[in-house]
Amino acid sequence: MTIAPDLPATDARIGTDCGCPEMRGLSRRGVLQGAGLAGLTYAVGSTVVSMSPAAAAGTASSMGTNTIVVLSLRGAADGLSLVVPHADPAYYASRPTIAIPKASLLAADSAFGLHPNLAPLLPLWNAGKLAAVHATGLAVANRSHFSAMEELEDADPGSKLRVGWLNRLLGTDDQTSPLQGLAVGDITTQFYGPQPVMSFSSLEEAEIAGDDKWDPTHQRVRSLHKAWDASKSPMAAAFRSTMAAVDGLAPAKAQADTSAAFPDTDLGRALASVSRTVRGKVGVGVVTVDQGDWDMHTDLGTLTRGRMIDNVTDLAGSIAAFFADLGPLADSVTLVTISEFGRRVVENSNAGLDHGWGNVMFLAGAGVKGGTYYGTWPGLKNSLDADLTVTTDYRSVLAEIVRTRTSASLATVFPGFTPTPIGAMRSS
Amino acid sequence: MVKYTPGRYTATTVLPSASRHLVSRFSYGVTPALVAEVDAAGGARAWWEQQIATAYDDPDAIAAEADWWPNQHYDALTIWQRQQAGTEGSWDVMSDYSRRLVARRIISPRQVLEVMTEFFEAHFHVPTSADNPPFWRVPYGDVIRAGALGRFEDLLQATITHPAMLLYLDGATSTKAHPNENLGRELLELHTLGVGNYTEDDVKNAARILTGFRVDMWRTWAASYQTKDHWTGPVTVVGFSDPNASADGRAVTRGLLTYLAHHPATAQRLARKLAIKFVRDDPPQSLIDRLAQVYLDNDTAIVPVLRALIDSAEFKASIGMKTRDPGEDVVATYRALGVQLQAPTADSSAANATIWQADSLGLRPMAWPTPDGQPIDNTAWATPSRVLASMEMHWAMSGTWWPNQDLAYLSPTQWLPQRSLPFRDLVDHLSRTIHGRASTASTLKICSTAVSVLPVEVITPAHGLVKWGFPRLLAALLDHPNHYER
Repeated sequence: MTIAPDLPATDARIGTDCGCPEMRGLSRRGVLQGAGLAGLTYAVGSTVVSMSPAAAAGTASSMGTNTIVVLSLRGAADGLSLVVPHADPAYYASRPTIAIPKASLLAADSAFGLHPNLAPLLPLWNAGKLAAVHATGLAVANRSHFSAMEELEDADPGSKLRVGWLNRLLGTDDQTSPLQGLAVGDITTQFYGPQPVMSFSSLEEAEIAGDDKWDPTHQRVRSLHKAWDASKSPMAAAFRSTMAAVDGLAPAKAQADTSAAFPDTDLGRALASVSRTVRGKVGVGVVTVDQGDWDMHTDLGTLTRGRMIDNVTDLAGSIAAFFADLGPLADSVTLVTISEFGRRVVENSNAGLDHGWGNVMFLAGAGVKGGTYYGTWPGLKNSLDADLTVTTDYRSVLAEIVRTRTSASLATVFPGFTPTPIGAMRSS
Repeated sequence: MVKYTPGRYTATTVLPSASRHLVSRFSYGVTPALVAEVDAAGGARAWWEQQIATAYDDPDAIAAEADWWPNQHYDALTIWQRQQAGTEGSWDVMSDYSRRLVARRIISPRQVLEVMTEFFEAHFHVPTSADNPPFWRVPYGDVIRAGALGRFEDLLQATITHPAMLLYLDGATSTKAHPNENLGRELLELHTLGVGNYTEDDVKNAARILTGFRVDMWRTWAASYQTKDHWTGPVTVVGFSDPNASADGRAVTRGLLTYLAHHPATAQRLARKLAIKFVRDDPPQSLIDRLAQVYLDNDTAIVPVLRALIDSAEFKASIGMKTRDPGEDVVATYRALGVQLQAPTADSSAANATIWQADSLGLRPMAWPTPDGQPIDNTAWATPSRVLASMEMHWAMSGTWWPNQDLAYLSPTQWLPQRSLPFRDLVDHLSRTIHGRASTASTLKICSTAVSVLPVEVITPAHGLVKWGFPRLLAALLDHPNHYER
């Protein structure tokens, strides 16, 4: 083989057996997915993680060294099952099958109590590191999953621009590192916009196939740059982000894989990868995690059967494992849960709930004034149409986190919005 | 300095750019065989009409396509009994359903039919990953394939009260005591009018109208109509009203679906989706208005709308504006590499492995988890995680490393169009074969860089490129922007 004068020499063994590592990786995944049957087959797209770093070396970041994790409960979770308003008589009157008895609630005060399967989170609650804000949501009800999600994640009702609130948050500083956006899975509308974000499906797989030890002069990557650096293809920005960001993940990959300490679920695995990346201190500032399957029109069920108990167990176990796994870094990580809307007050004839309005949001970790139920309770009605009325705009909850955990301008992140103080976060 | 003057290997024929554009958007990848087919038909436009005209000519051939999984022929009760007996889960039947879809897309000569089947399976989405629909999901797909080139109203009538849909969106368990709103809402929001064109009362009334369609879950899985479960009383959904006095609500259901299929908002919604899928992510409203009018003028027939779409200036100007989604990427890669798929004999056989390949890119065919169906815009799939996974899949197949069972790859020697030729001519031949177009100086430079071979270097079977470097050359072409376009 002659060597072009402007091309570095490649190893003569190019391509001989360099596929083996990739092949093993693929085969292993194939076998796992094949053996996983229902569990993994049903996992398609149900949990999605995105991250973006707080700061590249030498650039100021509005995140400082803090990290915000936004956990989206997709499908519209029933907040009245998660945080039960046991003192409201309409709750029990409207839910003859699925209401949760007062006696089984955890951390109950005179008005509310936690679903008993949230037990793994009780230590965080008792330590003052977990709080709930009830009757939150969009100012006007939107019962379409897809439209509500986008409205919620844009968080800019006056604008037709498809830019998510987290992308605006990332845009409040000078940080333009291509590593600004690291995703384990797909990128959701919260992150849509001009600030680049990285994504991968798992940390181990965040590498460019073919850029291996048999290619010491990186001809593969050089070739990819020639293909994509000036490309106008709709894929080009994603290629450029990928190539620029992959190397920056090395410190995260070097961290121990502690996923065995997490629930063996999509959410558990996702939060394990988030923790590992945070521990790698690659500068993660904002993380989004999407978890699916809360759309319980049928068989929401009771404390002994149905779909809710498994979901709640997974949610609580995964969040508890996450903060335990972070160790001392837990003091810099704040997690908030959000769902596109809540469900109706009255159960339907399938032990389920149709689309409603208000919901509960959990706040956990750094800066949270926990062990308390926040929000303004509107009272429930027992009628076909009854919703949990929203008394706290969800943006007020998010704004309180942004205000206390970042130096970003609230006016930029939530344009035209004046937040109502809740008091669930400590000013740092 | 090296001069990157592209080679010209004209013996490998390509379509003119406008023709390639049409064939590419309405197939899963332009192959040399498809180029020959288009030429034989008298050009791309004629090929497209031929595809439409002959799509259903040979039902036996459609039924025999990639008919490699016996469980695709079992009825609902059989699938259930086999699951109960621990023989095979319904989820396995669904894995094989996705596999057969991929195989059909790779090998079917009815490419336009497969493309439109996918479009409408996604529009009337019943995920293979949902809990209850698997027992009825295979015949549901057949219904959509049979109607994908017909009238939208017929598709709507056939899908909304199909047991698979009833099982997915809770119609199968809805009762008059408290009608479940899931199906009624998605009928208005996703399948017909679109959000903003109906009220919450319309949702409730649609849910009431749809009561009575039942499936005998966890027993026989038989579908039936139960008059005792039908909500009676006057109903109004947008502009549709009916006294709904009969305990048999099937006629009022048909009436509602006919009304919705012909509603201008449905025409707008469908026209917009077709334009996003086949033209560009931000189609001009003027195009959508024209397509919607064609739809209404033709009694909801789909083909006249498609014809207006492909003949539009907007379509012709949209070359390079659409990317392949994960499923399309997998299929196009098999087609681009000329891989021959064989009947599977093991889990790791290529025809079985395709769903894991698609999973790794982010989308197993028809397994999108929510009722809106997989995204059809570029943005959702133009992500770094997708890029990483696509590169890995392309790399593994370029090297023939995985999948490696029950398929036939071309060997590097077989890729050579003649025993000896300059590298730049080889790149041109490969560009024509894999990208469906002649190479450019840029493509040559990309390939030359990837394998450290000069443009004028003579390639023979004894050359290192053929002996060990070929995977890197194929990967450079598969990770080229051209291969991500459709």
